[in-house]
Amino acid sequence: MDELELLKRDWQKKDKQLPQISFDEIYKMIWKKSSSIVKWIFLISIIELLLPLLLYLLPIMSKEFAIWRNLGLGNFLLILDIVQYSVVLFFIFQFYKRYKEISSLDNAKQLLSNILKTRKTVKYYVIFCLSLIFASFMVMATGIYLSEDPIAALEFGNSVENISPEKLKTTLIVTVVVLGVVVTLVMGCIYFLLYGILLKKLNKNYRELRDMDI
Amino acid sequence: MTKDLEHQFVTELECNQNIVHKVCTLYTNDRDSHNDLFQEITIQLWKAYPKFRGESKFSTWMYRVALNTAITLYRKSKKSVPTQDYESVIFKITADEYDPSEEQQLKLMYNAVKQLGDIDKALVFLYLEDKNYTEISETLGITEVNARVKMNRIKNKLKTILNP
Repeated sequence: MDELELLKRDWQKKDKQLPQISFDEIYKMIWKKSSSIVKWIFLISIIELLLPLLLYLLPIMSKEFAIWRNLGLGNFLLILDIVQYSVVLFFIFQFYKRYKEISSLDNAKQLLSNILKTRKTVKYYVIFCLSLIFASFMVMATGIYLSEDPIAALEFGNSVENISPEKLKTTLIVTVVVLGVVVTLVMGCIYFLLYGILLKKLNKNYRELRDMDI
Repeated sequence: MTKDLEHQFVTELECNQNIVHKVCTLYTNDRDSHNDLFQEITIQLWKAYPKFRGESKFSTWMYRVALNTAITLYRKSKKSVPTQDYESVIFKITADEYDPSEEQQLKLMYNAVKQLGDIDKALVFLYLEDKNYTEISETLGITEVNARVKMNRIKNKLKTILNP
C-alpha cells in the first residue's frame, strides 16, 4: 500500500517536531504516583477482600449473632465462620501470587491475561461471598420455619401481640427470603457494574489479541 | 547506588524520549492526555528498570513497556477534547518539498490511523517504526504469521476508511 509507505517515511522524519522533555522534568516524573489500571484493581480488590470481614465488626452484626443462637443455628454459624475464613485466606494468598506475576515486561497478551486472571480471583471470591450472604438468609428463613417461637427469638418484644402467630411466621419467612434475594442481587449488580466499567478496555484488547491466534 | 541508577535511567530516557512521544501521539488526542500518558509510561519504565538489566537494547525494552502502558495500564483521567494547537503539531507535514496533494494524503492517513483500535494502532506503530514481524509478534504476544495476517487486514481497513 503506497499510502502506508508514504506515512512511514513521514513518520520517521517526525522526530524534530516532537516535544522535548528535559532531564529535570523526567527526574521529577519518576517520583509521581502511578494511576494505572493495575493500581486501581489492586486497591478495589483489597477493599473487596476485606469488606465482608469488616462487616462482622459492626455492632448490628453481633446482635444478629444472638438472633442466630436463639433460632438454634449457633453451630451452623461457627462452621460457616471457619469455612469463610479459610476460603478468605486462600483467596488472599492466590490474589497476592497472581498480582506479583503482573509485569509490564511481558508481551501485551501475557500482561493482559495476567491482569484478568488476578481480577478473576477476586470475582470468584465475590461470587463466594454473595452465595454465602444468600445462604445465610435462606438458613435464617429455615430457622424461623422450624422455630417454636420465632417472635421471642427475634427479640421483637410485645409490639406484635395482636397478630396471629401463624400469619406472622409466614410474613417473617417471606420477608427474609425476599430480603435475601434483593440484597444479593443489588450487591451483585453493583459489583459487576464496577468490574465491567473498569475492565472494558482490557477485555476488549485481550479478546482481540486472543482471537488473532484462533 | 540508587542515585546512580536514577541518573542512568533519566539520561537514557531523555535520549530515547521520542519513542514515548510517538506512542502518546497515537493514543491520545490532546496535550493534557499526551503529558498524562507520557508520565504514566515514565513511571512504568522506572518501575520496570531494575528488572531490565540490559539484556536487550534500552529502546527495544522501551517499546514494550510503552505500548503495554498505552494498551493496558493507562486509564484516561478525563474526557479528551482535541485542541487546535495540538493538532497542528501532529499533522504538521515534513515533506522536503511542499506538495499539497501529498500533504492532503498524509493528513487523511494520520486521521485514519487514529480511528483504529488499541491493538491495531500498536501494530501500525511498530510497522511505522520499521520493526520486523518477529519483533512485532514478540511485543504483542501473537505468532509471526498472525501478525502478518493482521497487518494485511489493517491495511484493508485503512483503505476502507480512506475510500468509504
